[in-house]
Amino acid sequence: MTVISSKSAEEYKKQNYTERMDKKGMPVSPHVMIYSFPVVALSSITVRITGVCLWLGVGGIAAHSLAGGDPALLMASIGDSPVLGPLGKLSVAFPLSYHFLGGVRHAYWDQTPEAVTNEQVEKASYAVAGGSAVLTGIAMFM
Amino acid sequence: PYLSTYPVDLNECGPMVLDALIKIKNEQDPTLTFRRSCREGICGSCAMNINGSNTLACLCYIDKGAEASKIYPLPHMYVVKDLVPDMGNFYEQYRSIEPWLHSKDGKSAGQAEFLQTKEDRKKLDGMYECILCACCSTSCPSYWWNADKYLGPAVLMQAYRWIEDSRDDSTRERLEQLDDSFKLYRCHTIMNCSKVCPKHLNPGKAIASIKKRMTELH
Repeated sequence: MTVISSKSAEEYKKQNYTERMDKKGMPVSPHVMIYSFPVVALSSITVRITGVCLWLGVGGIAAHSLAGGDPALLMASIGDSPVLGPLGKLSVAFPLSYHFLGGVRHAYWDQTPEAVTNEQVEKASYAVAGGSAVLTGIAMFM
Repeated sequence: PYLSTYPVDLNECGPMVLDALIKIKNEQDPTLTFRRSCREGICGSCAMNINGSNTLACLCYIDKGAEASKIYPLPHMYVVKDLVPDMGNFYEQYRSIEPWLHSKDGKSAGQAEFLQTKEDRKKLDGMYECILCACCSTSCPSYWWNADKYLGPAVLMQAYRWIEDSRDDSTRERLEQLDDSFKLYRCHTIMNCSKVCPKHLNPGKAIASIKKRMTELH
């Protein structure tokens, strides 16, 4: 247990809190498994996940071409296939549109702190999800 | 660590979760340990995670549905016992922002108060009411992963309360103190904080305002 005193500030600065508590063997209370995440939080983690997917996709295409493959040919052949085509387009269009709209939303929040209220961020999260669904739907059948 | 289930006759119990916890401690398990004091939502002692959300147990009505209420300590905190987390880190972070008035010249002879216009005083509304219950900081996934270096919404909102205070002369120093990649900028506007504040304050907006102020610094 940490005791707060007039001198505890120096003690605190000397050693990292997490290391000190881990050494004591104290358990950490449950977090991800028990927390009921609101829509805005789910929207935020999806922006991060789609970001990782985009990074893996671009890296994959780069690796493929560096290894001597022809990504344009590969993509065209996937795109032409009747089943894989729309699925492939979905798996590119959804991360791209969601992450982009999430970024637009975030840039708006940076400029307008007054818009960061519970009601408005929830509406913004639905707007990003809806906008992304529309854009993905269009892209899937293009 | 383990979970225990206690049956409680809700006809013989007050309406709030804290009433149920006290009843369990009185009648069934005297070793059940939790913090509590004012029982009216102003001291912040009984902050805990009830049915997935952080609130004050004294303000949270018992859900009289079929399922048992799930009560956990505040998420991702080191647990001292049962529902009591170690709050040391949280308080030290609050101390680190120097939450007192910094006056360059002090008071002149015969001066009674540092005067402030009504408009300037209004800027502090929505921030000074914070009871430091830690519901917001412990609801923030960023604070879960970086509690030692990220200050968390509660402390950041108090930092902004002092930045916005017109009587304070250290505004630039306060902003500069936040200017590294962890103290402020681990916030990704997840907004769990404002959703969960039992006093209906908005730390997320305060943090967004600090970030905007930081751009003027550079």
